Amino acid sequence: MTELEYNEEEVLALASQGDREAFGQLYERYVERIFNYVYYRTGNIHDAEDLTARVFQRAMNHIKNYTDRGVPFSAWLYRIAHNLVANWHRDRSRKQEIPLDDLPILPTKGDHPERNLVRSQEQDSLLRMIRKLPPERQNLLILKFVENMSNAEIGAIMNRSEGAVKSLYHRTLLALRDQLEDQNLNLEGE
Amino acid sequence: MAKRKSDLIQEENLDSIEAHLAGTLKPVTPPSELIQRLRGRIQMPTRSEITLRLADWRRMFFVLGGVMSGMLVLVTLARVFYYMAGRKG
Repeated sequence: MTELEYNEEEVLALASQGDREAFGQLYERYVERIFNYVYYRTGNIHDAEDLTARVFQRAMNHIKNYTDRGVPFSAWLYRIAHNLVANWHRDRSRKQEIPLDDLPILPTKGDHPERNLVRSQEQDSLLRMIRKLPPERQNLLILKFVENMSNAEIGAIMNRSEGAVKSLYHRTLLALRDQLEDQNLNLEGE
Repeated sequence: MAKRKSDLIQEENLDSIEAHLAGTLKPVTPPSELIQRLRGRIQMPTRSEITLRLADWRRMFFVLGGVMSGMLVLVTLARVFYYMAGRKG
């Protein structure tokens, strides 16, 4: 579907009246982005699938409550995803399950297919480090790098000002640098 | 001067971390069958949807009305049979 054919306001209005086809359009537009977010936050394809389904089910059930008060629909969806992922982490910590450190490899966009199937040791270490960061810092990095969002867009999702996001990002980079130094890990240039 | 140099090194370090983050945190493509499965799951009515349907008072009114009418018909038929059976006896 081209951008011209897609009018989010109209689609949202129809979807909030229970139009499943309209909700289907929203699904097609956002499913990969939400899956990416959940995949990096959970580190598990099966749970990412399950949680992505639950994000859209919840969105479908509550879409009547969504009103555009300066928060775009995508931000609303990410907030649902964030809450469900937070619950998922809480349940896992209660059950004392073994944390998943190694993110299963899925093909990334834009790279050569063969290159996709290999992740360097450095990347694995960095991913492990990211997954040990506080949730809001993980969110920030995922939204910035995976979803390619601006600080303003991230702020809308995280309910923070653009300046606060910028500052949090800088602190996150410093924290990662300190951790790398602690572990004597040297990220060499590619 | 020395401080400026250390700031510069720090900035370079952060740039290097950013570059590695960009190389590590890349958007992934979920398998197409996963997307299909998800679509199937989402189209199924959920529990809360069923609850919502039950909360629809108009529908409930018709459902209750229908059930009551049906029961009345059954009771009337039972009485007719009872009456006829009594007369024969």
